[in-house]
Amino acid sequence: MGDFKFAREKMADVLSGLGEYQVLAPLMTGGVVRFREVEESDVPVGERGRYDNTVVPPKELMFPETETLFRYQLGGTDINVSEPEGDTGRVVIGIRPCDAQAFAIVDRVFGWDYPDPYYQKRRENTTLVGLACDEPCSNCFCPSVGGGPASEEYLDAIMYNLDDTFYLKTITKKGEELARVLSGVLQEAGDAEKKAAEKQAEEATSRIVRSIDTDGIPEKLPSLYGHPFWEQFSDRCLGCGICTYLCPTCHCFDIQDEVEHFDGRRARMWDTCMFKEYSLHASGHNPRPTRKERTRNRISHKYSYFPLNFDVIACVGCGRCINYCPVNIDILDVLEKSREAEVKEEKPA
Amino acid sequence: MVDNKTLQNKAREVISRDDVRRLIGWKRGTFGFEAAPAVIKDPSGADDLIFDATCVNNLASFITLEEKPPVPRGEEPDTRKTAIMVKGCDSRAIVLQLVEKAYERDDVIVLGIPCSGVIDRRKAREMFGDVAGAVEATCEGDKLVCEVGGEKKEVDRKELVMDKCLRCRYPNPVISDELLGDEVEKFADDDFSDVAEFAKKSPADKWAFWDEQFSKCVRCYSCRSVCPMCYCVECVVTNLRPQWTRRSTDISENTAYHLQRAWHLSGRCIECNECERVCPVDIPIMTLNRRMTRDVKELFDYEPGVDVETEPLLASFNPQDPEEFIM
Repeated sequence: MGDFKFAREKMADVLSGLGEYQVLAPLMTGGVVRFREVEESDVPVGERGRYDNTVVPPKELMFPETETLFRYQLGGTDINVSEPEGDTGRVVIGIRPCDAQAFAIVDRVFGWDYPDPYYQKRRENTTLVGLACDEPCSNCFCPSVGGGPASEEYLDAIMYNLDDTFYLKTITKKGEELARVLSGVLQEAGDAEKKAAEKQAEEATSRIVRSIDTDGIPEKLPSLYGHPFWEQFSDRCLGCGICTYLCPTCHCFDIQDEVEHFDGRRARMWDTCMFKEYSLHASGHNPRPTRKERTRNRISHKYSYFPLNFDVIACVGCGRCINYCPVNIDILDVLEKSREAEVKEEKPA
Repeated sequence: MVDNKTLQNKAREVISRDDVRRLIGWKRGTFGFEAAPAVIKDPSGADDLIFDATCVNNLASFITLEEKPPVPRGEEPDTRKTAIMVKGCDSRAIVLQLVEKAYERDDVIVLGIPCSGVIDRRKAREMFGDVAGAVEATCEGDKLVCEVGGEKKEVDRKELVMDKCLRCRYPNPVISDELLGDEVEKFADDDFSDVAEFAKKSPADKWAFWDEQFSKCVRCYSCRSVCPMCYCVECVVTNLRPQWTRRSTDISENTAYHLQRAWHLSGRCIECNECERVCPVDIPIMTLNRRMTRDVKELFDYEPGVDVETEPLLASFNPQDPEEFIM
C-alpha cells in the first residue's frame, strides 16, 4: 500500500508515463462517455469536468460486445485456423468502484465449471485504477449491495479527484507495480490528501438516497414464480436490451459463425434474456413465452438464482437499469414490492 | 389540460365495462422527468393514473406489443377491448396501425388527450441536474411549472419540451372515442428546417457523422421495441432462422440495421420521437426518419397516420407518382 498524489495538470504525464501499458479511460466519443484506448491528445472525462459514470459499462473491456474467438479459411481439404493476438498489459483508469465490483461477480461465472480463457486472460492482464465517486447519481445504491463510492476492495489502486490534485492510493501488487512505473511523476501524499479523500468519501456516501434491504429477497423471489406480481412490471416492458446490455454484471453471450466465401470467423457477442429469441428452442417452443417470464428471470437471476449459487447478489447498485429503462421498470421498486407480495400457500391435494 | 380526477373517473368507468380487458395510461414514475406507462386491469388501478407534461411515452406501442401464447385447448381467446390514452402525436400511430390493419377499430377504445407538450429529459437534466424523486410538471400558457424536490419552478415551455413539440401540428388527437380536456391550439407548422440544415453537409461529412453515431450502437433494439410502427411478429433483425442480420456489432451491421429501419419506416413514421428518446447512447435517430418524412411529403404529398381512410403509402400506386429518382 502506498499513498501518492499528482497535480491535475500532470494527468497527461501520468498517461504517457504508462507507455508500456495499453491505457483505457472514459473518453467522450460521439457524444457519449465510454472506456476507450487513450491516444496522445485524448483527455479522460474525469480529468476536466465531472461525469458520474459511463452509459455502457466497462464490462466491455473484459467481455467485449463482439469478439473474435478465431478465424478460419476454408478450401480444399485444409482448414487454417488462427487466433487473434491477445492483449498485452492494460491499465484501466477511472473505473468506478461499482463497475470493478461487477468484475468480481462475473469472475465467478467465467471461472466456474468451464474457465473462460478470453475473459480470464484480460482480467489477469489488466490493472484497475478506480476513481472514487464524489457525486453519486440519484439512482445509485451501491452501499445496499456491498459497495460504496470509494470502495477499494476490487481495485488495484484508487484515485480521488480532489480540487487540484489527484490522490492515488495503491491497494494490490499490481497497483504498486503501477506506482513504480510512474515513480517519476508521482509524489508522496500527505495527511492533507488522505483526510480530504476520507471526507469526500463520507460526503459521497451520505448523498446516496436510494437503498434496498436485501435480506430474505433471494429466498422470497422463487416463491413468487407463478405469482401475478410480475405483471405489474412486465405489462409495460418493451422487451428491449437496455437493462441487460448496460448492466455491468450481465454476462450472457451467443456464439455465431460468420462466413463470407472462404473466410470465416467464430465470434461471440452479448446476448440478452429480454429478447424472445434468447430462450427460443429449435422446435419453436419457448419456455419463456412472454415478457412476464423474461422480466421474472432477469430480476430473479440477479437477486435469487445467482446469490443462491454463488453467495453473492449479482447487482452492484450502479443504477443504470433504472436510469435508462424507457418505461421506468425500477429494480428497487420491483424488489420492494416483492417483499409486499403475498404468497398464497397451496393446499396439498 | 385534463385534470387528474376527471381522467381517473373516466378510466374507472371504462375499465369497469364488461367488454374492456385492460386500459393503458400513465402513472407517476419512481424518479425523474418521465412518467411510467400503466396497464390497469381493474377499477382500483385507475387511482394511479395521471396526465401531465411528464407523460412522454407513446402508449400505442403497447396495443401491438402484447404477446399472446396459444390458448389452451377448450378455452376461448379473450376478445375484450383495450382502452388506451393518447396524446395528439401518439394518436397518429393508432390511425396508421388501423390503416395497416394491425387490429380492428372495434378492438380499441381511444381516449384522446389534447397535449401542450411533453418534457425532454435530456433538456431537463441540463437545466435541473440529476434530481432524486419524481417530478410533476404542468403546462400553464407558455410556462411549464415543474415541481422539483418539493419546490415549484417556472420555466419557459419552449426550453424544456421535446423538439417534436415545438413543431407539433397535431396537439389534439386525430382519432378518439372520447376527448378528455379541451382542445389546444397547434404550436407551429413544420418547416423541416432541421432536415434542410443537415442536408447541407457534404456526403463525406454525413458519412463521417453517421459512422460515429452508428459505431456507438449496442443493438439493444430499444428504438425498434418502443416504436409503435415496429410491430412485426418476426423482425428481420432478430430472426434466427433464416438470419438476415448478424448479431455481431460492428459499423457494417449497425449501419445496415439503422438504414433498414429508416427505410422500413419511410411513409410510416408518425414522428412520436420515441426511438430517439429511449436510445441509451444518444443516436439522433429522428434525423434519419425526418429526412424520409420530408421526402415522402414533398414527393408524394403524403402524411402517415392522419386519416384512417387513406391507403398506406407503399401499398398505393398513382400513375402521377414522380419517378425522376428512378434511373
